[in-house]
Parts: sequence; structure tokens; C-alpha cells
Amino acid sequence: MSLLHLSFYSSFILSCLGLAFHRTHLISALLCLESMMLSIFIALTILPIEAQTPSTTLTPVFILAFSACEAGTGLAILVASTRTHGSDHLHNLNLLQC
Amino acid sequence: MAYFVLLLGVGFVLGGLAVASNPSPYYGVVGLVLGSVVGCGLLVSLGVPFVALVLFMVYLGGMLVVFVYSVCMAADPFPETWGDWRVLGYGVVMVLMLIVGVVFVGVECWKTWVVTVDSGSIFVGRLDFSGVAMFYSLGAGMFLAAGWGLLLTLFVVLELVRGLSCGAIRAV
Repeated sequence: MSLLHLSFYSSFILSCLGLAFHRTHLISALLCLESMMLSIFIALTILPIEAQTPSTTLTPVFILAFSACEAGTGLAILVASTRTHGSDHLHNLNLLQC
Repeated sequence: MAYFVLLLGVGFVLGGLAVASNPSPYYGVVGLVLGSVVGCGLLVSLGVPFVALVLFMVYLGGMLVVFVYSVCMAADPFPETWGDWRVLGYGVVMVLMLIVGVVFVGVECWKTWVVTVDSGSIFVGRLDFSGVAMFYSLGAGMFLAAGWGLLLTLFVVLELVRGLSCGAIRAV
């Protein structure tokens, strides 16, 4: 693994760990998802540079469009759960009543 | 000059760490802004400024603005800071797990060179401009699929936040 690949690999792993260990807020988990998407974008942009193939430059722009869709949907879920539960604290999201 | 690119890579990792160990969503957004600014600098140094500008406008100027006002709705009025020992503990544990994983995989630390756009030869038609312009020629199907997905997401979001008694998410 070269040192430049190590940088976005590390950022992706750290964001995955942040998503796994999120503590209080739902929006912290959404921010970690966005950080994962950012590191994937950088990785997919380095592919056409290293392989010198211009047509693979389409892939990061395409994935950015769908990541905007995902961020919008996640924030809509956040708004809906804040409206019903009063806040976006994760320990309030318990339908199991135990 | 390659060391500057690697320094921007270090800044990118610090942005990811700031998002992962955020004491409060306000600081998570700061880390995300730092990571995207440094990522754009990285892409410009590698020779693809068009993709960097796309990232700036769509990600930083579109998605992060929406996240910022959602954070203003959803976050505490008295947040924790990075000085708390619990937040620092989280950050240190995550970095230790990352180091264990990286030592397992193995890093070739002598490879300090960076491949840029002009590593092969100098081109008049630039790689990023001619690549993304294929959205309008051979990639027209992808373009229409992305547009259709974005239109569909608009209706999904409208259904999710409609509320009253017939919304998609209700706990009562």
C-alpha cells in the first residue's frame, strides 16, 4: 500500500469506527457516513489518475450524486424522528419498551 | 512536492478522526469541512481541478449546508468539547485500532512518490474535463439514471417529512 492510499484508507476506517461507536446523537452517525463517502470519493478519483483512463472519472461524480440522495433521505429520517421523539438521542429510539 | 501531497493526506486523516471522535455534532461538521477542503487541495495537487470543484460545490456547498442547519436543530445547547477525557479516550482508542490494522496489512513506507495526471506525458485535453464530459456523450444513460434517482429522492423526502397523521414514520 503506498502512503497516499494509506491516507484515505485510514480515514475510511476511522469513519467506520465512528459509525460503530456513535454515542448520543443520530446526526453524529450521519456525519460519519458522510465522511466515509468523502473518502470513497477521493479514492475513486485517484483511480483515473493512476491508471490514466479518463472515462473512469465519471464514477466519483456519479457516486456523489447518489450520496446526495442518501444524505437527504437520512436527514429526512432524522427530522421525522425528532418530530416524534422530541430529540434525536439514540436511547430514545426504543419501541421495545424494555 | 510529493511531500506536500502526503501532508494533505495527513490532514485528511485528521479530518476523519475529528468526525469519528466528535464530542458534539458541531465539531463533527468542523471535521467534515476540514476533510473536504483538504481533500479538494489533494485533488488539485494531483492535477484534477474539475473534480475538486465539483466536490466543493456539491458536497461542501450543497450537502454540508443542509447538514449544518440540521445540526442546529438536533444538537445540544451545552455541548461537550474535545478537552473531556471521554472524547480523548475515544480518539486514542480509534487511532490504536487503526494502527493495529495497518501493521497487520503492511505499509510500504519507502513509496513516497505520488502519481499525478502528467506522469505519463503532457496532454492538451485534460483528464478530468474530458472524462466528465463523457456524461453527455457515451455516458448519457448514466446521466439519465442519476437524474431519475435524484427526482425519486425528492419524492421520498417529501413523503418522509409529511407528518400529520399519515406520514411514513410515526411512533404513536
